Amino acid sequence: MTTTDHMSNEETVPPGTGDVVLEVRDLSVTFPSDDGPLPAVREVSYVLRRGEALGIVGESGSGKSVTSMAIMGLLPKNARVEGSAKVLGQEIVGLKDAQISKVRGNKIAMIFQDPLTSLNPVYTVGYQIAEAVLAHRKVGKKAAMARALELLELVGIPNPEQRLKQYPHELSGGMRQRVVIAVAMANEPDVIIADEPTTALDVTVQAQVLEALEAARKETGAALVLITHDLGVVAGHVDRIGVMYGGRMVEMGPVEEVFYRPRMPYALGLLGSLPRLDEDRSERLTPIMGTPPSLLALPRGCAFAPRCPMARSVCHEEEPRLLATDENGERVRVPVEDTDAHTAACHFSEELENAQPTDLFKGTAVDADTVEAVDEEERQAEEALAEVGGSSDTADGSGREAILTVRDLVKHFPIRSKGLLKRRIGEVQAVSGISLDLYEHETLALVGESGCGKSTTARLMLQLIKQTSGEIGYKGQALHSMSPRQMRPLRRDLQLVFQDPFASLDPRMTVSDIIAEPMRIHGERNGGAKKRVRELLELVGLNSEHGSRYPHEFSGGQRQRIGIARALALNPKVLILDEPVSALDVSIQAGVINLLEDLQDDLGLSYLFVSHDLSVVKHIADRVAVMYLGKIVETGTTDQLFSAPAHPYTQALISAIPLPDPVKERTRERIVVTGDVPSPANPPSGCRFRTRCPKFADELSENERVKCVEEPPELLDRGTGHQDACHYSRAVELF
Amino acid sequence: MLVYTVRRVLGSIPILILASVLTFVLIDVSGDPLTELRMQQPPPDPSVIQLQEERLYLDRSMPERYWLWVTGIGGNGDIGLLQGEFGPSTQSNSYDIGANIAERLGVTLRLVGAAMVFALGLAILAGVVSAMRQYSKLDYTLTFIGFLALAMPVFWFAGIMQQAGVAFNDLVGDQVLATIGDGVYQAQGEDLWGRITNAFAYMTLPTIVLMLTSFASWSRYQRTSMLEVLNSDYVRLARAKGLPNRVVIRRHALRTALIPLTTVVAVGIAGIIDGAVLTERVFQWRGLGEFFITAVEKNDSYALMAWLLLSGVMVILANLIADLLYGVLDPRIRYE
Repeated sequence: MTTTDHMSNEETVPPGTGDVVLEVRDLSVTFPSDDGPLPAVREVSYVLRRGEALGIVGESGSGKSVTSMAIMGLLPKNARVEGSAKVLGQEIVGLKDAQISKVRGNKIAMIFQDPLTSLNPVYTVGYQIAEAVLAHRKVGKKAAMARALELLELVGIPNPEQRLKQYPHELSGGMRQRVVIAVAMANEPDVIIADEPTTALDVTVQAQVLEALEAARKETGAALVLITHDLGVVAGHVDRIGVMYGGRMVEMGPVEEVFYRPRMPYALGLLGSLPRLDEDRSERLTPIMGTPPSLLALPRGCAFAPRCPMARSVCHEEEPRLLATDENGERVRVPVEDTDAHTAACHFSEELENAQPTDLFKGTAVDADTVEAVDEEERQAEEALAEVGGSSDTADGSGREAILTVRDLVKHFPIRSKGLLKRRIGEVQAVSGISLDLYEHETLALVGESGCGKSTTARLMLQLIKQTSGEIGYKGQALHSMSPRQMRPLRRDLQLVFQDPFASLDPRMTVSDIIAEPMRIHGERNGGAKKRVRELLELVGLNSEHGSRYPHEFSGGQRQRIGIARALALNPKVLILDEPVSALDVSIQAGVINLLEDLQDDLGLSYLFVSHDLSVVKHIADRVAVMYLGKIVETGTTDQLFSAPAHPYTQALISAIPLPDPVKERTRERIVVTGDVPSPANPPSGCRFRTRCPKFADELSENERVKCVEEPPELLDRGTGHQDACHYSRAVELF
Repeated sequence: MLVYTVRRVLGSIPILILASVLTFVLIDVSGDPLTELRMQQPPPDPSVIQLQEERLYLDRSMPERYWLWVTGIGGNGDIGLLQGEFGPSTQSNSYDIGANIAERLGVTLRLVGAAMVFALGLAILAGVVSAMRQYSKLDYTLTFIGFLALAMPVFWFAGIMQQAGVAFNDLVGDQVLATIGDGVYQAQGEDLWGRITNAFAYMTLPTIVLMLTSFASWSRYQRTSMLEVLNSDYVRLARAKGLPNRVVIRRHALRTALIPLTTVVAVGIAGIIDGAVLTERVFQWRGLGEFFITAVEKNDSYALMAWLLLSGVMVILANLIADLLYGVLDPRIRYE
């Protein structure tokens, strides 16, 4: 991963000269809404120098995407854009379509978040790239196609001639994002804006796409604005970073400065709420209390003040400006062109010198609207626990016993022909013979990329779908052979928490009804339910008065708490958590993770934690099983797996996760996998990972490879202290 | 694409067979074609009835009759779809259902075709304009017209249009718009210009009547699907590439927004045929609508079957065309 070094800019070019490619000044965007004007972006200013990479981070609703859309002139007509944005000195805010279309795609290009929807399904990939060329260059169609081919090669797409003639649906997500990068590069723009370019992709693919983006920058010399919520992604790829909150830029500076010496409590809080791969898992996360402000009702002073532990009266009165701190601790104004300055919008930024997240934020699990009464709530929660029957003493120390067991579980989904007969023409091997043990009072994480079968496994364990073969046992009872009727009483013990807190709560039911529904189904109709709902709300850190509200009145994190409360309603023994925090913003996610940890300690629960996010897994899990294409490739305790991964896939997976630490991220060793996950309808013979395996490709001899091709490796302890499924496994230390 | 086409064409054959069975059974059980004859006072001679029964093949069982209707094997040469015969008529011994229906089909197709073309063209135009100017006065106006048209019963609107036509002619002081008749007879022997003015005079009012409902519902669909596409990521990317607005609209937005409309139009064919029956009745065209109503009045079961089967074939054909069009418009379908 190469990155342009901002130091070179500093030496060779004095600030304020002609190397500025993008200059944004006091850019504001307001949307009209039924509840009054909605200020999505407020007075954002920054400059971007030639070849520089600027990261803009922020949570959803911070205005980071809207800013870029405003620069590109891509906002809906009703948006009011004020201020200025100049590309190479040319003002582009307020340009007519005919004029701005000469700039777009030519001098400034954009890459969007979702590669699956960014390309028009009815035109070939080649056509869509050539179209970008033809829009700005006076060349023939043939020449444009030739350029498209060249671009596809550049972004690292194999068989480019063939791909050129294919339609987007024939390409994987990672490939499609590379095509979008190729479109952006087509006319060698001076600025590329990438809006969450890898958020929708798996980590191993993310690493490939980021590499393609680097290649694109090197080739075109374009400056980059990288917009993301992922602090890890920016750490290794940008020179400078801007943090946005509530529509404003609240901190800006060189990447090391912001990461190592944040001057704004929000940035500090974000760093503290991040579960990290490179840190000890026993440390508790420090979430930021509360939720981002509603843009319709922004506080008068600092937008972050209501969540800020440092806030004083002046913070609620006066909005702080983006200023630097000089050596005397005075806050001083610096020109926007000074790209080496570290500025922050905080009245007390000088107090943050050498501050650690834990100095400011508490490792609590309780959410915003109950903050005032934390102690009271905690006391109540404990009481609630006593009544719920939490067994915090008994869970510890007692002999380990597998509570949920899975043996040789297989699930094949048939693929049927399209005709009238619906013949079975193949099968998707979603889960191909896996075995797991979930022990009492432990967290087992099931990790893998999309399509590896982890969610199918979770659903099979709950018997929401029937297995093709294999056994699932719960406390010695064979779930796999039970009828739905026999299964029903056991469902009390096995509950599920879903990924999407917006889709998993019925919008037409009150929160009380949602939480009470499992009790109603299981025949607990008596008056106790009401009391129980209040207890549960308190237990998950919500205000028990809010039971009569509807889900839409809550934020994402609060909704996920409601989902957890519903799952706890029947006093379950096991919670299956299917990506429970992946839909949440970082600062909110930490609170939910802490809550899950607390609940486990207090109630003695066992968790099956399904996730694609290894950082979260490292933080929360006791043991980990890594899945690839329907099989478990490695399993062990969290410490074993992260400190000495033995399977090349696990190694690649861990190494692909960007660390939110600029120096570590730039210097660490990488194990890179190529290509995409093969179709589970037609998995490779022998070892399923061999088609992407770096070991197979680079290290093994011809003779050794034969074994990988012919013989599926079994999951065994091969001298690494834990089990892996690789014929040539060797533990590697990655940190 | 060839494989896709062949598969779609083959796929419509079983549907066609099913349609023929249903048509036959439904008409066959819905009444005795000889009711009128049997109810005559004084009662006719049993031999007369028997003769009629034999002529109409009523002396055979239903499966036999179906087989006969389709193949004509064992009949008197006046029956058998595969031989191009639709069966004997109750209306008279010499009434040729096939010849009659062919003649009427031409008249009706003229109306249905014109109505479809205009409805579709205007619907796409209105839908696109509406979507591009969402929440503008124009959008609201078009929306209002759309819902008004949807709410209006065809027969009622046809009457209104007829009156409007008369009023228009009075105003101009000349017979510009014909309010009655299909104009087929009048067009005979005319030169090209004469045919065009004739078509304009006779077709304007019925076409407006018939296209109105379809125009209304299709324009709403087009507006919705256009709005969806306009907000899509790929339209945004097309703009970000630097394509001028009109190219974005035509090449990226409209092109994809037409795909869902294909299905809606194909399904809407049945509704248009329905509407044609009523419209023809009001404007007194000698089309399939009139043919159908006469057949019902005369209890002419073979004529009814012919009509129903023809309608069915038209619907199946329309769906087949839509399917093929779908394949052309959407590569994801083509390569399935």
